[in-house]
Amino acid sequence: MTGQRMEAPLQTNEEGRDMAAPLLSIRNLTTSFRNDGQWSPVVRDVSFDIRARETLAVVGESGSGKSVTAMSVLRLLPPASSRIEGRITFDGKDLTALSDEAMRAIRGNDIAMIFQEASLNPVYKIGFQLAEVLVEHRAMSQTEAQAESVRLLDRVRIPSAKNRLDAYPHNLSGGMRQRVAIAMALACQPKLLIADEPTTALDVTIQAQIIELIKTLQQEDGMSVLFITHDMGVVAEVSDRTVVMYRGELVEADTTAEIFSRASHPYTRALLASIPHLGSMRDRDAPLSFPLVDHQTGAVSEPKETVARPNQQAEPLLAVRGLKVRFNIRSGILGGVSGRVHAVEDVSFDVKPGETLSLVGESGCGKSTTARAIMGLAKYEDGGITFNGKPLAGLTGQEQLARKRDVQMVFQDPFASLNPRMTVGQALSEPLAFHTSLSRAGIRARVYELLEGVGLHPDMASRYPHQFSGGQLQRIAIARALALEPKLLIADEAVSALDVSVKAQIVNLMIELQERLGLSYLFISHDMAVVERVSHRVAVMYLGEIVEIGPRQAVFGNPAHPYTRELMSAVPVPDPQRRATETRVPARELRSPIRAPDFQAPKRMMLEVGPGHFAQADSDGIVTQLTSLAETAAQTRQPRLAAE
Amino acid sequence: MTDTFSNPIESPVTAPTVSPIRKLVRQFSRSKLALAGLAVLVAICLAAIFAPLLSPQDPYDLMQLDIMDGQQAPGSTSLGHGFTFLLGTDDQGRDMFSAILYGLRISLGVGLTSAIAAALIGATLGMIAAHAGGRTEAVIMRIVDLQLSFPAILVALMILAFLGKGILNVVLALVLVEWATFARAARGSALVESQKEYIEAAVCMGLPLRRILLRHLLPNCLPPLIVIATIQVARAISLEATLSFLGVGVPITEPSLGLLISNGYQYMLAGYYWMSLFPGIALLITIVAINLVGDQLRDVLNPRNRS
Repeated sequence: MTGQRMEAPLQTNEEGRDMAAPLLSIRNLTTSFRNDGQWSPVVRDVSFDIRARETLAVVGESGSGKSVTAMSVLRLLPPASSRIEGRITFDGKDLTALSDEAMRAIRGNDIAMIFQEASLNPVYKIGFQLAEVLVEHRAMSQTEAQAESVRLLDRVRIPSAKNRLDAYPHNLSGGMRQRVAIAMALACQPKLLIADEPTTALDVTIQAQIIELIKTLQQEDGMSVLFITHDMGVVAEVSDRTVVMYRGELVEADTTAEIFSRASHPYTRALLASIPHLGSMRDRDAPLSFPLVDHQTGAVSEPKETVARPNQQAEPLLAVRGLKVRFNIRSGILGGVSGRVHAVEDVSFDVKPGETLSLVGESGCGKSTTARAIMGLAKYEDGGITFNGKPLAGLTGQEQLARKRDVQMVFQDPFASLNPRMTVGQALSEPLAFHTSLSRAGIRARVYELLEGVGLHPDMASRYPHQFSGGQLQRIAIARALALEPKLLIADEAVSALDVSVKAQIVNLMIELQERLGLSYLFISHDMAVVERVSHRVAVMYLGEIVEIGPRQAVFGNPAHPYTRELMSAVPVPDPQRRATETRVPARELRSPIRAPDFQAPKRMMLEVGPGHFAQADSDGIVTQLTSLAETAAQTRQPRLAAE
Repeated sequence: MTDTFSNPIESPVTAPTVSPIRKLVRQFSRSKLALAGLAVLVAICLAAIFAPLLSPQDPYDLMQLDIMDGQQAPGSTSLGHGFTFLLGTDDQGRDMFSAILYGLRISLGVGLTSAIAAALIGATLGMIAAHAGGRTEAVIMRIVDLQLSFPAILVALMILAFLGKGILNVVLALVLVEWATFARAARGSALVESQKEYIEAAVCMGLPLRRILLRHLLPNCLPPLIVIATIQVARAISLEATLSFLGVGVPITEPSLGLLISNGYQYMLAGYYWMSLFPGIALLITIVAINLVGDQLRDVLNPRNRS
């Protein structure tokens, strides 16, 4: 890392606007934490500027020091165990030299911050919390504060703002809470807004709305934004300039367009290569691995084309028919059923041998519950699940055990899915010891083989889960799932919690394992771009129902259902040139699948809009839209109504 | 995170494998006070175990007692046997130092046995309640509620009034008083742990229920139980001392610390302070040491502190 590379882009005189003095200037920032009496730097020698009315994105993977940088600016780190060196100048003031009193005045007034989880106090109404800020910082009277709160909620586009003042944070959805947090941040008309992963916990459609909102508000107020994220798609969407951080160091800083088109540092190139681009798979019908880039040299290894094609004529390995899962909501003294969550409603699909079927949808759409029903972790009310030609409902104890060997699951959080008190070797040998008749030595050999199969060193068997990184643990979880040589692997958001480069590695591993072992996957994810990469077929779920299902190419290339289109348009495009200019997704609350106890779910029709490509036709006028699509399809093939 | 972006085989990290136990020991030794408590506790336990070797006389052997040595102040010499009474003697001519060492055996033994038995019974019932749910859980937990709504000393007094004196009866009474605390804690942590994905992963693996409960659920529920157990040992010792002091505890022939205090108490006003004071100090030190260790264990085993 040379100082020259860091400084050069900061001094470029692009478009003339960079002449103005920076609003925030960070020079040689080094932040260290004390651990066991030793100071270890987490942020090393970082320098960058933010000018007025500019959005600067700080991008990096977990542990890159991006959040610590922001916390250092606001001096939010515990003074006892942290040390900030370097110079931070904000609006002419040296923040490192200010008294605690003066710093408090800057926080909230001049610099506001929003976090990943909207930081609202759960026991106060949001009106009270907003008014508190206004009374405290802007010396308003209660009535003025009341009126100003409504105006602020209006500004962040919260529908019927006046009524929301009396709502508690838990009455609002995650997206709405984040809007309230933004309203609170804006209450004091700050010059700089620091947004720390503000959209990471949100669904894609909500994420798109919040990004849109931050952009609009920035234009209206003329404030600067420091946007911290791990998502290059979001970066391309929001920022004027981008700073890339890697292991506590600034590796590259430039305008966003430059970063995306002519990144010079190998790490930036690696990061860019591992981002899934929605639509990049248009001309392929099989899954494709991610290209991998060496972090040090920048050498790119081209992805291998997969050759195996699942036989679509084969008998399905897993057949789900009319699956219904409902949860009763009880209330009152007698605990009567006051409502039902229709978590999964009349869901049907097949998974063929060697095929990857993806279930996509936003949180609460029932995709995980479907998986849990198949695994026997959730009770289903109605419908049938057939595995390998045998219905699951009527299995004997022995058959059930055999079925459990054949279907395995990989969970989202690799830290939670491994017993913290067992070594990795113990965790891997446990299913082998119970289900197979292998000897001790045989089990050990198999454990080593499994670890090597997922790209880990056999020596790691003696270590405990807390000694591994997230990516390594997910490899171990996959190895454990593979221990019994299953036919079907259910991956429930298995790569969602991982950093992009690690995500790419795990996806590549899964594709490779599929080729080698002929596995079938039920791949559950909310990430459309990853789904496009890995799947042969895709099912889109919304409010417990499948609204569209078909070959991946057809669903992504020619989405028939309006929800599928909405979902796809909400995915941030990692290309600053193609930045959306208008609001793509209307602000709305997520609809809830909670119904009255006597609610009868309407019978849905699935309409074939292409070969093997079905979309739900419901009563909202979509039928006509779909019918026209179906007619187009009919030119090549006779359309047929399939009521499943 | 990973250096090995281009190389899928991850090289083993050179850092030595740190087992959870070693990490625990390291974290425990951060508090000097807790370490001191542990040292004192170990010394007390050793003194109790090797009491016959350390004490100049067997306080239970009436042949070794000499009524002429009765009520001697600390530091005086035995008339017949020639050794020094470090902490004085009681009215029977019993060496207080020896009596305290032997009393510690009873106190610690009663405390440990009752806490361990209560932990076993309570944890089993708590885990059963958490796992079974429904009516079983309701019945067990209501009994727990009922049990905890009575003052412990009252329940123990009632049981001992019914069963009569005796070490075994005291242990039984203490177990009956203490099991409910363990049951409640065990159920709580079992409910939390069984929500975790590793339990679901074990279910998905088709492992038998017994193995999931014993090998996966139990070890992860243990930390809070261990903490409660240490605190309950101290509580059992003080409860036993109270019961003995009140005259319903251990028999007079096998005096625990509480009974020693009780015996000496009547001579307090006559100026023979040592008969009550020294057993009292021994009891105090024991309980404080156990509580210091327990407190630090709680901090170390608290899942929030585990990084």
